[in-house]
Amino acid sequence: MHKYVIKRLIMLIPVVIGVSFLVFFIMSLAPGDTARTILGEDAPIEAIEALNEELGLNDPVLIRYGRYMMGLAHGDLGTSYKSGRSVFTEVMSRFPDTLKLAFWGMVFAVVLSIPIGIISATKQYSLIDSVSMVFALLGVATPNFWLGLMLIIGFSLHLRWFPSGGSEGWKALVLPVITLGTGCMANITRTTRSSMLEVIRQDYIRTAKAKGVNSRNVIYKHALKNALIPVVTVIGLQFGSLLGGAVLTEAVFSWPGVGTFLVNSIKAKDTPAVLGCVIIFSICFSIVNLCVDILYAYIDPRIKSKYK
Amino acid sequence: MAENDVKYTLDIKDLEVQFKTVDGVVRAVNGIDLSIEKGKTLGLVGETGAGKTTTALSILRLVPDPPGEITGGTITLEGKDLFAFSEKEMETIRGSQVSMIFQDPMTSLNPVMTVGDQIAEVIQLHEKIDQKGALEKAKAMLEMVGIPGNRSTEYPHQFSGGMKQRVIIAMALVCNPHLLIADEPTTALDVTIQAQVLDLMQKLREKYGTSMLMITHDLGIVAEVCDDVSIMYAGRIVEHGTLEDIFESTSHPYTEGLFGSLPNIENRQEQLKPIPGLMPDPTDLPSGCTFHPRCKYCKDICKSRVPAVTRLSDTHLVACLAYEEGTGVTLGGDGNE
Amino acid sequence: MENKKAKKRSMAMEVCQRLAKNKMAMLGLAILIVLVLCAVFADVIADYETKVVAQNIANRLKGPSAEHWFGTDEFGRDIFARIIHGSRVSLVVGLISVSVSLIAGGCLGAFAGFYGGKIDNVIMRVMDIFLAVPSTLLAMTIVAALGSSLINVMLAIGISGIPNYARIVRAAVMSVKDQEFVESSRAIGASSMTTIFREIIPNCMAPIIVQVTLSVASAILSTASLSFIGLGVQPPDPEWGAMLSGGRNFLRDAVHLTLFPGLAIVITILALNLLGDGLRDALDPRLKQ
Repeated sequence: MHKYVIKRLIMLIPVVIGVSFLVFFIMSLAPGDTARTILGEDAPIEAIEALNEELGLNDPVLIRYGRYMMGLAHGDLGTSYKSGRSVFTEVMSRFPDTLKLAFWGMVFAVVLSIPIGIISATKQYSLIDSVSMVFALLGVATPNFWLGLMLIIGFSLHLRWFPSGGSEGWKALVLPVITLGTGCMANITRTTRSSMLEVIRQDYIRTAKAKGVNSRNVIYKHALKNALIPVVTVIGLQFGSLLGGAVLTEAVFSWPGVGTFLVNSIKAKDTPAVLGCVIIFSICFSIVNLCVDILYAYIDPRIKSKYK
Repeated sequence: MAENDVKYTLDIKDLEVQFKTVDGVVRAVNGIDLSIEKGKTLGLVGETGAGKTTTALSILRLVPDPPGEITGGTITLEGKDLFAFSEKEMETIRGSQVSMIFQDPMTSLNPVMTVGDQIAEVIQLHEKIDQKGALEKAKAMLEMVGIPGNRSTEYPHQFSGGMKQRVIIAMALVCNPHLLIADEPTTALDVTIQAQVLDLMQKLREKYGTSMLMITHDLGIVAEVCDDVSIMYAGRIVEHGTLEDIFESTSHPYTEGLFGSLPNIENRQEQLKPIPGLMPDPTDLPSGCTFHPRCKYCKDICKSRVPAVTRLSDTHLVACLAYEEGTGVTLGGDGNE
Repeated sequence: MENKKAKKRSMAMEVCQRLAKNKMAMLGLAILIVLVLCAVFADVIADYETKVVAQNIANRLKGPSAEHWFGTDEFGRDIFARIIHGSRVSLVVGLISVSVSLIAGGCLGAFAGFYGGKIDNVIMRVMDIFLAVPSTLLAMTIVAALGSSLINVMLAIGISGIPNYARIVRAAVMSVKDQEFVESSRAIGASSMTTIFREIIPNCMAPIIVQVTLSVASAILSTASLSFIGLGVQPPDPEWGAMLSGGRNFLRDAVHLTLFPGLAIVITILALNLLGDGLRDALDPRLKQ
């Protein structure tokens, strides 16, 4: 098992290199003159030329990328054009807030979705099943930023239960977490239900019943672990949309995280900052997927033995 | 009635099972009688879709509901009416008094539990024993079916098909049940492995004095392991008798057809005579004798009158109009068509 | 050959019949038809110049009324008219961006699956890298680099959807590639390209149809998201996400500014998802019992 984890960690390196190249390349396609953006429209040509030279923007993309990667290896993501500070510091100072949001969003989604999915599957076509499936369908179809706005109208402006912005205290966390987690919750609920329905039709479930296992243990001891395998995959994939969703949720609630920083940087054409944010998010996503794969091996002995 | 006075381990009377689907009501089992004497083996023979597995699942009361429903009849196990038990009581019976071996060993074991745990689970469910003791017993049982005890910590995917079936046999017999239901236990296995597995089942069954319901479509297996035979067609028993009755004085045209589909080694010139046609659609069973569309002796009366059970001898029963008086149906020759 | 065609047609019939039995899928389809009609006849329903972009400050922030069904926005424009015209944007973005993903991803996946070996390895590793960037972020990055415009939004969303199609098509191609009829068509001398297009593509239609339905939905969602944070369709063009963004400043007093465009998104996505689920069940009868 240790070998497998180490192997997967090593495999993370090419992914990080690939991702950073992809994002770097895309950003290098940006038309317009960075130095002019920084110095303003009225700056003299000589000053712009000098700044371009200083920033190394006249070099070919591969050389710039090489330089960037050398920096990345040392945890240096360049300097923000806008604030003049290190991108790494800028991102990392905001990272805990985003992580807090993403973590609780995922907890909210998982804690509610899996039990609801199981109950729906074991009571297929019952009222509780129909109701939760309607909610899951709506949850998948609702854009999270709109849900956020509606929650603000209801719970913040009218009922005054929770604040509509900021990140101070647990109360400020409630609405953003619901906003961010609902889509994931809906997706995971649907996956849990269909996976459970698939599993409880399997022969080994019939074997378990024929052994005299009671219906509760048939579900929780025999079916659940098998049903969780696709659910874990979906949770991993959902984490990606959770990160994307965090950008929007932060925008709705003026949450001072990496997402807000990213949007502002994009608008300010602050290339190093954009690069830094996207790369950090992608590394996070890769690490989560790694954890999912390891969890996978833990749940499913067939996968575990493949990597022994 | 005291338990040891009971002659039959299993006694099924007039069992009816239906499945209600969108396409109509599937009448899977239509009033069958079956009984197994203590320590004996009954073979239940028929084509795929005849209702054999449904009958077996009814004994465990595990017919999937919905859509399935037991709509009539009684099942008596060791003198006790199974349908009178609560679901909780049934749980204590499954695996301890009746256990079942399923057709496909590849899919019948839980892929995420070790085989040792899966066997130990049955023991713990039905006996007062701690986990360690149960695991020890599971290992001993594995040894008995010819698998080294130290493999009990392995997962099903690490075993071959034949080994998995051995594990399932161990699981089925570990609590020493009165009745073992074997649903085509060797169909999914290689021919060489089939013989080993059958042999193992026979040995263990004799050792424990277990009665057995052997569900199969293979007359070779029947000849090898069964004492009595019931032939099932479209949810009905069409012929029942001792092994000798069925093999030596085959009476029903369907049974005759089953034998006609087997190659005859002594006379290889003889052509195979497969039964023409297919099993009838169970949502729309033929009128009269359900076998009439495929029967080469079919007469008009067969299309309208349901045959009653005729007693040919103490042990031999048949449901065919040819054995009822005044029907004018005769068997023999190559039929009239 | 004739026989096979007939069989294929009857299979399509069967799928349609199964789909027609699915009430939820039919509901989704009905909503979509209404939506497409709205988009096609948007100019008939409400004039673009006078109702959708022309400002009328005297009429601003009016609640729903007989004249303005969904009320008016902060510039006095009719929200109903803007939503109707917005459906054009959403459907066009949905269709074009999914076409981009489908064509590019499909070709890459088909090559990878058909040739296997090194080509397969290179293509799929590149796809893995694309997949390592969460798709919303990838789309944001592309828009950030290329600038905010409708075309760039479509391109960005299209590109971020490529890996999904590459994977689906590759898997489908690999599963049908070794089947007899493909081998037989190669044996009679058909070139590999012809083989891919003539034999394999029609045979992996089922998962693609389902994926297209679902990814049109997610493309519409992404467009709205990008526009909401100001990176997509720019005002005064009517787009649902942009309308929401504009309405944010009036949450307290004029809920209709955010309520109706949001509902439009929810209903559209819901309809596409219902149809997608229905199609999946209809195309894969094993799942339905």
